[in-house]
Amino acid sequence: MASVRAASRLLSKRVLSKTTTVPAASVQGSRNFHFSIYGKKKNAKVSDDISTQYPVVDHEFDAVVVGAGGAGLRAAFGLSEAGFNTACVTKLFPTRSHTVAAQGGINAALGNMEEDDWRWHFYDTVKGSDWLGDQDAIHYMTEQAPAAVVELENFGMPFSRTEDGKIYQRAFGGQSLKYGKGGQAHRCCCVADRTGHSLLHTLYGRSLRYDTSYFVEYFCKGVIALCMEDGSIHRFRAQNTVIATGGYGRTYFSCTSAHTSTGDGNAMVTRAGLPCQDLEFVQFHPTGIYGAGCLITEGCRGEGGILINSEGERFMERYAPNAKDLASRDVVSRSMTIEIREGRGVGPEKDHVYLQLHHLPPQQLATRLPGISETAMIFAGVDVTKEPIPVLPTVHYNMGGVPTNYKGQVITHTGGEDKVVRGLYACGEAACASVHGANRLGANSLLDLVVFGRACALTIAEEHKPGEKLSPLQPSAGEESVANLDKLRFANGNLRTSEIRLNMQKTMQAHAAVFRTGSVLKEGCDKMDAIYQTLDDIKTFDRGIVWNTDLVETLELQNLMLNAVQTIHAAEQRKESRGAHAREDFKDRVDEYDYSKPLQGQEKKPYDQHWRKHSLSFVDPKTGKVTLKYRPVIDSSLDEQDCAHVPPAIRSY
Amino acid sequence: MLSSVVAKRLVTGVCQAAWRPAVTGLVSSRGYRGDAPDDTRGDLIEIPLPPWEEKADEPTDIKRRRLLYESRKRGMLENCILLSLFAKRYLNTMSENQLQQYDRLINEPSNDWDIYYWPTPDVYQGEVMDMLKEFTKNRNHEQRLDAPSLEYLDKESQ
Repeated sequence: MASVRAASRLLSKRVLSKTTTVPAASVQGSRNFHFSIYGKKKNAKVSDDISTQYPVVDHEFDAVVVGAGGAGLRAAFGLSEAGFNTACVTKLFPTRSHTVAAQGGINAALGNMEEDDWRWHFYDTVKGSDWLGDQDAIHYMTEQAPAAVVELENFGMPFSRTEDGKIYQRAFGGQSLKYGKGGQAHRCCCVADRTGHSLLHTLYGRSLRYDTSYFVEYFCKGVIALCMEDGSIHRFRAQNTVIATGGYGRTYFSCTSAHTSTGDGNAMVTRAGLPCQDLEFVQFHPTGIYGAGCLITEGCRGEGGILINSEGERFMERYAPNAKDLASRDVVSRSMTIEIREGRGVGPEKDHVYLQLHHLPPQQLATRLPGISETAMIFAGVDVTKEPIPVLPTVHYNMGGVPTNYKGQVITHTGGEDKVVRGLYACGEAACASVHGANRLGANSLLDLVVFGRACALTIAEEHKPGEKLSPLQPSAGEESVANLDKLRFANGNLRTSEIRLNMQKTMQAHAAVFRTGSVLKEGCDKMDAIYQTLDDIKTFDRGIVWNTDLVETLELQNLMLNAVQTIHAAEQRKESRGAHAREDFKDRVDEYDYSKPLQGQEKKPYDQHWRKHSLSFVDPKTGKVTLKYRPVIDSSLDEQDCAHVPPAIRSY
Repeated sequence: MLSSVVAKRLVTGVCQAAWRPAVTGLVSSRGYRGDAPDDTRGDLIEIPLPPWEEKADEPTDIKRRRLLYESRKRGMLENCILLSLFAKRYLNTMSENQLQQYDRLINEPSNDWDIYYWPTPDVYQGEVMDMLKEFTKNRNHEQRLDAPSLEYLDKESQ
């Protein structure tokens, strides 16, 4: 231990110095600037092009990445490695991004535990997406997966190993062998129990050796960012922008996400007049702690934990005879909700179910699920060796987001065709490639981050060179954002930020949760539209400009609201059940054919009469009005010879 | 307000807080490990991140405001709830020394899970760590359903 400490002290001497403060010479007016930039520092220019009250610091880069989670770091690292002068702007320290919460692992068909083939992973993912995923993007992701994991290993990520020294892989829900016919697959690679943290640490550490400039604790709003440390406004000019801002779980009252998941990237894109895709597809994780919403990992069920109802029955045996408690998340969430609605819920209000672990040997619980005992005790007051944990399906992941193609380029859909939006890219949970379609499989998300983070960097490197001349920027660019900031900072209406936020969260929870139905959704849409209007009557209390948490949370609320209205309107419009979007009034999938019967003799439904298509939602930020369009699913893989696409079928586990 | 026992512990905590790389001594017991072999921590050793440094010359009130933001915005929900509730209870009445301890406690560890699972290295021992541990135990069985909304600060200033 001592020798390891000595070694790390030696190594730390060679590390790049961390921060610099901007020299006083570039300061204008009476404002004192003392913002910090980690990594590579460049001279920044201060001006009052936008307003004399809010002097702006201008920066120029080849590429800007918004967000420093797994996807953002991978993109920033890839760009810096390729020689691009890259800025990464983040509202959190990189290793504190929500990626750190990831406990599962990364799926890749390495074949270390049994014979495996990425095409089987491809099949599992297409099926898991309920045939809403774009098969070219899924092909890209699953084929690249083994190479991506090996690449991370070479960067220094210490994957857990088998005794032979190969990367250890474990089982995870929804993963099978031989196109669903060969039993459970073991293809989830992990770093003990801190895969998310290790990914962040490795990528952040490596990227510091290249020319990446990190703007940490800056809140981005389009091209403009607010530096929390000194309240200065920063403007980033770059030919290429990558959005990697994560999901928006916080639109709901109960979710497993940190309070930082506020859909900032989706909102930026919406304000730019571009669409967001498939926002109605919100994944509910079967086992969030009843009340606080903290996640109880799927690994519990992997270890033998079972879900039971008020009669003590292991009800998953009825809903998924083969996979049982390890069926796909949407199947398990729906089953739990049906049990509750049919009166077999537990607790005084019969509004949740139990996750039972006490039938497992205490030794196994202690060594393989140590953290669960802590969480169950702290947030539910439960001793897992004696009692079951109260759980409920809880908002966990957003399959929808900024639409991109398989190269990470943001697209929009005009004239019946996909069109690339030049200079804009997106990756990670913020994007919708779409690899997860209507439902995401566990351990595919971390894979999504690294594959598409890398794809964005590769695409930019293919199409651009470092040091390219920037398009001219209007001197007043960002004016609206600053005006909005100023307005919020001094807002003195009648409703506090927390009140409006709670109204939104409770409405979404009551009207757009696991089971949805027409009248409830419609009522929700009307309520949400009304709540959107109340933003004009908002009241903030902190008038300062340095570390103004109230202001940040209000900006985040604006972002959340844009995500919420799109989610509920898209859900109300989609009259079918698919993946995570389950409707009581339209219980089945509405595809172009009825795939539960033989296709022969069936007439193909026209495009506007079936629902196997992506939703594209737009919002007019001034009025809150949502418009919906649709875009076809990409059914062909990148190479039909190498990997045939999977035609739609009925999805059962 | 500080009893002599607590004051003594505070002083010891500050003295022990002389810089030592704490990364390699952290206890690791969290989440789902299953069959996976132990963590070699290769990345933490081979790719050291720039060490955390205390912000010099930061006025106390600014430090308090920064620590509020950094308590509420964490990597996972568990810490968001615990630290924002803790901040609501204690942050506005902490002394400069306690603020420095808290700053180190929540900002130095790079893995948020390490804060949640109470790391034991000496460098974090001290009054604030004890306060946090005690707070987490929740002897009064307070409801811990979510992080508090910010407006408690507004009421205080009225």
